[in-house]
Amino acid sequence: MTTDSWPQFGVTTNFEGTEAVVALHGSVEHQGAFTLGATLDAAIDRHPASIVLDVSELDSIGPTGMMAIANAERRLAQMDTTLTIRSPSDLVNRLLGMMEMAEMSRLLDRVAAENEHVEKHEAKALPLMGAPSGQDGPSEDFRRVTAMPSDPDVIDGALRLIVELARALVEGADGVSVSLLRHGRLSTVAASDQTIMDMDTDQYKTGEGPCVDASIQGQRFHAPALAGETRWPAFTPQALGLGINAILSSPLKALDQPVGALNIYSRTPLAFTTKDQAAAAVFAKKASVILSDAGAGVSDTQMAFRYQEALLSRRTITLATGILMEREGVDEEAAFSDLLRLSLYHGEPLRQQAQTMIQSARELELGPEFGLDA
Amino acid sequence: MNSNLGPNSASMREPPVDILDTYRQEAGLSHGELWLRYFEFGGMSTAFELEAYLYGVLAPSTYDHDLIAHALNERFVELGGNHPVAYSEAIRAK
Repeated sequence: MTTDSWPQFGVTTNFEGTEAVVALHGSVEHQGAFTLGATLDAAIDRHPASIVLDVSELDSIGPTGMMAIANAERRLAQMDTTLTIRSPSDLVNRLLGMMEMAEMSRLLDRVAAENEHVEKHEAKALPLMGAPSGQDGPSEDFRRVTAMPSDPDVIDGALRLIVELARALVEGADGVSVSLLRHGRLSTVAASDQTIMDMDTDQYKTGEGPCVDASIQGQRFHAPALAGETRWPAFTPQALGLGINAILSSPLKALDQPVGALNIYSRTPLAFTTKDQAAAAVFAKKASVILSDAGAGVSDTQMAFRYQEALLSRRTITLATGILMEREGVDEEAAFSDLLRLSLYHGEPLRQQAQTMIQSARELELGPEFGLDA
Repeated sequence: MNSNLGPNSASMREPPVDILDTYRQEAGLSHGELWLRYFEFGGMSTAFELEAYLYGVLAPSTYDHDLIAHALNERFVELGGNHPVAYSEAIRAK
């Protein structure tokens, strides 16, 4: 594994019999997309019976990379060759790449600096927490959709990793857990030890506590010293009984909806410094990213399927547009407008309309090249 | 390209610049998924550009606008809704 070269882009081609396997590593953007395009072209030039695009080591792929694949698809379709996408990806590696320690500490320093003054307004959530996608530049949202799988087991594994990292990196932390709302009920999906598990369970049973409030209200709840805490009368004595004196619960959000909390517990009152709070916000954000992908339903194999589907849809719609261009003698945009109007008129999705059009063109025997293996 | 004004143009008020992104949020689509849908329709703009269109930072071409509007509208239909996002005059005129 070459995790240290993350997130450089690399591509290798292997010919296995009549099959060409093009394996991608790292991140396909910009320059990498050109390389990918050239590599695919070179592979196609050797006329393999099929091409397999192995994205199991792919960190992320951007629009330019998708375009490169779309172009290769188009070429291959003309040659009656298939392109399949293989993706058994390794989430933990990816996460470690994502959580690279250097990046982490840099982030933490920056967030801590930004939050020095926020500290005074205790009631306010840290800026990073309320807006998972707003602060990091426009490309991040796309990156995570394409980069992160979301099988439930895999998600739990990823959240456990976050718990481990949070426990190691948040100085005041004696225990960490993640609670999630699943099927309308809160449960702990990852906890650093049994005491922490019990702490969470006590909160679910009493229906109160910072973890419950953060999960439901989507805001940070910080109990710096439980001895003087009045917000959760049923739960607080139980926590004190287990030797816990400070709790920091940061909300987790999937697609901007509260879905759970990252809970950090300490035996020491006033344990959580500004930096700890900033770190908690960063980890909560990382977890939210993972959960957002879960919400978006983009699992590992689904991701590969979604790519293929997108490429196929694009091929279908482009083909139908081409038929209209030829038939009506109009340019591509006018042809697309026609197709769109037809779709609206018939109340059919665009792709289906395009398929209908291709079908009728085929029936009119415009030529076998219009055949589509749907 | 037909330049007839559509029936709605008289009553149209100036919408907020990021109206498309508001629709995106209502449709529950991430930027990435919306881009993918736009890509499926044959869109050629990058995800960056798409976001710029959504936030009103860049003005999309008529073609791009219609692609985005339709990607959003198909999503709204999937959710059991209608076609709330207006198309360009080129689509509405006929």
